[in-house]
Amino acid sequence: MSGKLTGTSAVMLYLITAGMMAFVLCPIVLIVIISFSDGYFVSFPPTGFTTSWYVSVFQNAEFTGALLFSFVLAVGTTLLSLLLGVPAAFAIVRGNFPGRALCKGLLLSPLIFPVLITGLALLQLFSSYGWSTVKLNLLIAHTVVTSPYVIRTVLTSLELVNPALEEAARTLGATRWQTFRRVIFPQIAPGIASGAIFCFMVSFDNYPVSMWLADSANTPVPVVLYRQIGTVFDPSVATMSSIIIGLSAVVVLALDRMVGLRRAMAM
Amino acid sequence: MKVAGSETDKLPGPPGTGAGDALGGWLHRQVVGSPNWMILPLLVFLAVFFFMPAIKLMLFSVMTQDPQGRIGTPLTLAHYVRFFQVPLYTDVLWTTIRISIITSVIAAILAYPVAIVLVRGNIMVTRIVTLIIIAPLAVSVVVRAYGWQLILGNGPTGLLNYVLLHLGLISEPLALLFSPVAVVVGSLHIFFPMMVLPLASALGKIDPNLEQAGRTLGAPAWKVFLRITLPLSMPGLVAGVTLVFSLSAGAYVIPALIGGPSSQMLGNMVEQQIIAVYDWPFGATIATILVLIVLAINALSMRLMGGRRIRENQK
Repeated sequence: MSGKLTGTSAVMLYLITAGMMAFVLCPIVLIVIISFSDGYFVSFPPTGFTTSWYVSVFQNAEFTGALLFSFVLAVGTTLLSLLLGVPAAFAIVRGNFPGRALCKGLLLSPLIFPVLITGLALLQLFSSYGWSTVKLNLLIAHTVVTSPYVIRTVLTSLELVNPALEEAARTLGATRWQTFRRVIFPQIAPGIASGAIFCFMVSFDNYPVSMWLADSANTPVPVVLYRQIGTVFDPSVATMSSIIIGLSAVVVLALDRMVGLRRAMAM
Repeated sequence: MKVAGSETDKLPGPPGTGAGDALGGWLHRQVVGSPNWMILPLLVFLAVFFFMPAIKLMLFSVMTQDPQGRIGTPLTLAHYVRFFQVPLYTDVLWTTIRISIITSVIAAILAYPVAIVLVRGNIMVTRIVTLIIIAPLAVSVVVRAYGWQLILGNGPTGLLNYVLLHLGLISEPLALLFSPVAVVVGSLHIFFPMMVLPLASALGKIDPNLEQAGRTLGAPAWKVFLRITLPLSMPGLVAGVTLVFSLSAGAYVIPALIGGPSSQMLGNMVEQQIIAVYDWPFGATIATILVLIVLAINALSMRLMGGRRIRENQK
């Protein structure tokens, strides 16, 4: 009984929560409704029902190309972030060098730095060295932004691993790699999985970094959508948005299945 | 990159030592041998692609740009003087700070009930609330800003105007979009989870028996909240406010898509200076001011929390 909500204050709390849930869902639900609207302009209420916007959006090479580009970019960003981030998190927890707390702070610092300015700083760097491979530039820039998520989730799960287990494995003759593969990895796998999903999500959704670095041949989907919002006023923009919403829902469900939402958010 | 582990694998120990010693040394290095070097790849990556470019950008703010676009000496503070002397720029600074403060305060007030339900509500409810709070985080800010364009649309076909007109509450459509209020509403929507999650995590650590005791001893619900729940959830509140403030202050998409000319923020001004005016030193100056605001609020919050932790340890 203790700690459960009861009485009039509970009713109040549930009502406010319900209101906030409606607030949070409203724009997303509205976009999906409008995406089926039969008019030539976005308006509420929708004039009729049609799925033709979905047909035309999937025939729009600019959009499908951007979708594919963002997907590949997000996968690349996730792999690079894991490759750099998992060992670094391991060094912070198991290493014995001085200044580990400082290093942890440094590795997490891109999280508190305004992302827009991270993108601008990289635009400056890339243009001053004449690096014109936009794909690589975007991969690097997204990895700067996403790597702290790997550090955070992997650190949290590594701190729960008992070092005695590793020492036992090593003493019994397992190599470094075997110890990692058989003893450590299974215990930190949920942390790595949620880190990977966060990386994918943050990269796939990113606008403020991509807007500085993308060009017409390499355009992630949020940049295409942003441009459409300013120039196209028919429901196709809502349709593109709905497709992105659908993909995001898949990612969230994957996170819930693999790790559990509450655990992933460290609640 | 030198791999310490693989190196020791190949070296069976210094020659001339006994087999037992060699084995002991080998074992020691294998078991205790540290993975210190593994931090280097990411640290170097961030040094090259984050710390150095960020510092260089901030240094631009005290440099001058010649007519050819080259940036260098003489060093000057003229850009900062210009920023703080021209009302156009200081207005944007105050708009940014005002919108960020209002957003964080409203988010904190509304997040408490939601976080309490998340922690203390029944299983089904908390599961649904968790999903609804977290799922929108996966949806791009651009998409969510577009959703608010559709809701706040200024004509009679915007959702809110349509509803209000049909309820007879207004006779003319309201100008909701392209205002500071729209930016606050949009920012609240985007950053609300960043307030709820740390708050719920802090509330989860409070022993429910404390609140129970307060109620049993006759305190009304509001007093239990003010005297027990609020002080004990302070770490979550500070973390949430810091996050929401930093993220709203650094926002670009929300003010660009649903804020009008009257509610442009520092991020939008940076973009203008770089893309439209091509004034890198002045763009860098605005960027530096934005970064300093965000770093200041984070330092303040760390100080608050650090002081708290020390006091708790002394008890």
